[in-house]
Amino acid sequence: MKILFLEDDVELRGHVERSLVAAGHVVDTSANGPDALFLATSSSYDVLVLDRMVPGLDGLSTMKALRAANNRTPVLLLTAMDGVEDRVEGLEAGADDYLVKPFAVTELIARINALMRRPPILEALTLLKAHDLEVDLIRRTVVRAGQRIDLQAQEFKLLEYLMRHAGELVTRTMLLENVWSFHFDPQSNIIESHMSRLRSKVDRGFDRELIQTVRGAGYRIDAA
Amino acid sequence: MPPEPLRRSVLRSGAFRFALLFAAIFAVGSALVLLTVQQQIDRYADAATEGSLHNETKILASEYGALGRGGLTDAIQRHSSGRDPQFRFRLVDGDGRVLAGDLPANVRLDGRGTLELREVDLAVHGERIETFKTLGTPLADGLRLVVATDTFDVRALMERLGWFTLASGIGITLFALVGGYFVGSLFVRRLHGVNTAVNRIMTGALHERLPAIGMGPEFDELSQNLNRMLDRIQSLMDGLRQVSTDIAHDLRTPLTRLHQQLEALRRLDTVEALDAGIEGALVQTDEILAIFRALLRIGALEGGVGRGRLAQIDLSEVMERVAAAYGPVAEDAGKTLDTQIEPDRFVLGDRELVAQAATNLIENALLHTPPGTRIQLRLSGNMEGTTLAVADNGPGIPKGERSKVLERFYRLDASRSTPGSGLGLAMVQAIAALHEAILRLDDNRPGLAISLAFPSTTPEA
Repeated sequence: MKILFLEDDVELRGHVERSLVAAGHVVDTSANGPDALFLATSSSYDVLVLDRMVPGLDGLSTMKALRAANNRTPVLLLTAMDGVEDRVEGLEAGADDYLVKPFAVTELIARINALMRRPPILEALTLLKAHDLEVDLIRRTVVRAGQRIDLQAQEFKLLEYLMRHAGELVTRTMLLENVWSFHFDPQSNIIESHMSRLRSKVDRGFDRELIQTVRGAGYRIDAA
Repeated sequence: MPPEPLRRSVLRSGAFRFALLFAAIFAVGSALVLLTVQQQIDRYADAATEGSLHNETKILASEYGALGRGGLTDAIQRHSSGRDPQFRFRLVDGDGRVLAGDLPANVRLDGRGTLELREVDLAVHGERIETFKTLGTPLADGLRLVVATDTFDVRALMERLGWFTLASGIGITLFALVGGYFVGSLFVRRLHGVNTAVNRIMTGALHERLPAIGMGPEFDELSQNLNRMLDRIQSLMDGLRQVSTDIAHDLRTPLTRLHQQLEALRRLDTVEALDAGIEGALVQTDEILAIFRALLRIGALEGGVGRGRLAQIDLSEVMERVAAAYGPVAEDAGKTLDTQIEPDRFVLGDRELVAQAATNLIENALLHTPPGTRIQLRLSGNMEGTTLAVADNGPGIPKGERSKVLERFYRLDASRSTPGSGLGLAMVQAIAALHEAILRLDDNRPGLAISLAFPSTTPEA
């Protein structure tokens, strides 16, 4: 996948670029807004990762210029500002995701993957499948190997998010933001508590564990 | 900026400029009045002159009718003698011979006319040009009578009026200038005090406030408002300073710990130990970042950032969500989270911030109580507002300590060993303040009950 990375800090840029390349992506970098704007308009990318605060034309303005030119490439804004209004402003201006610095590179990669797989138009998915697990979004039922599994509302939301990103790493913050709408970091192990309940229902008694823990990063549900 | 000399600043003052402006307006106004008056007088004088010429002609014509040519010449003689005769005449017969009067030959013999004549001025012992109005009338037998009268009186009046206007214009302008100067200096002197105070504030005397300007309630209100603005800026700056002090002091400990941990890593020689050490250092870094973020957030909240984003929100829905998230967490900790949430309680608020406040309260209750504790999340309301409460039947907080736990980094002796930054309640308090909600810590007999009372709002239909 081809990624454009706008970041003015040389060290951070190099580090992230190497990590993205190591994760199998093709990366173009740029240190300022005008260059990024030129690159983004002259060739096509799968995801744009823009630092919000760079000298000259900042990431937010670069993105606004692209959106004004009807460029719909998914944008992930990186920022050192984590105020609620900063995030809302970024999302309202057309960003698809928002990541606050400092961040773990695994978090960034997971979010980039999530953006890339996002279907251009939200497909009317009604049935999610992974291996022998099926989640019916209309009837809100879960069946594994023909066996009906009863989930509570939050467990269902959690499983739905994992299934929508089947095969990908899903981080704790992604779950907090998307399942619980918590844009702050609670101290408690909310995710772990819910995940253990979900696992006990989805995986217990089956020979293959579908929900996997990625140490120090998050969770992944096996796709096939 | 050095202060200007008083005189120059007075001449440049607003009051003085106003005075100048008014003087100019007055000058234009008096010129207009003068012009109008002049025209009116002209018209009136014309009419009067004409009337008197007609009257004189009528009188003389009747003399002629009664007494004949001799009577007429006698009457003309009589009327043009005396010290300052009002009329001058010319009476000619059909052949053009002058029978009486001293008007020159170039006078118009019939109808109205004007004539300029050199005349002796008794007042200045000299001669001057005088304008006369004339009226020529034919009598019987081919006689023609011309009566003339001067316009001197009218002109004198006009001249005097002009001088009077000029003099009063100059007088009033002078008065305006002097008055403007005094009013201006009054303003400048009053404002000088304010400016001096502003200068002192700018050079660091941040607690100084502006004196009352005086001269009227509107000016005093201005200086009061400016003072209120200074108070607000001061409190914002205090908050900022507090944040930087907190960062400087309270991040030093965890940073030192991290430093030592990293140093210790150097001495490790197995990959497993190194891995564990790096993991530990990363956890430490995350904790430091969390503290840092919390401090900045509290600082921003106390500065009022986000107040503009408050909207009608369904607090019941937010609390249901928080409760659903924490039920399993409480269960895993061997405690119970009971909820008692009244539906459809709307408040003016920020979804995320109230969720964070409730989260912090629940996490505190989970963290500082023994297993088996019952925690309650309650949301109730009436006409006066909506109250969110988190109560537990744990050890509680001694009465004397209750206000202290709201301070940043304050930790009860009993909880020093439990994890936590000591910022949770400070954040709740900042969120409460932003929402104009009242935060209370009460004895739950046993345990602690913390409540947030939101002011009443009209729910959206």
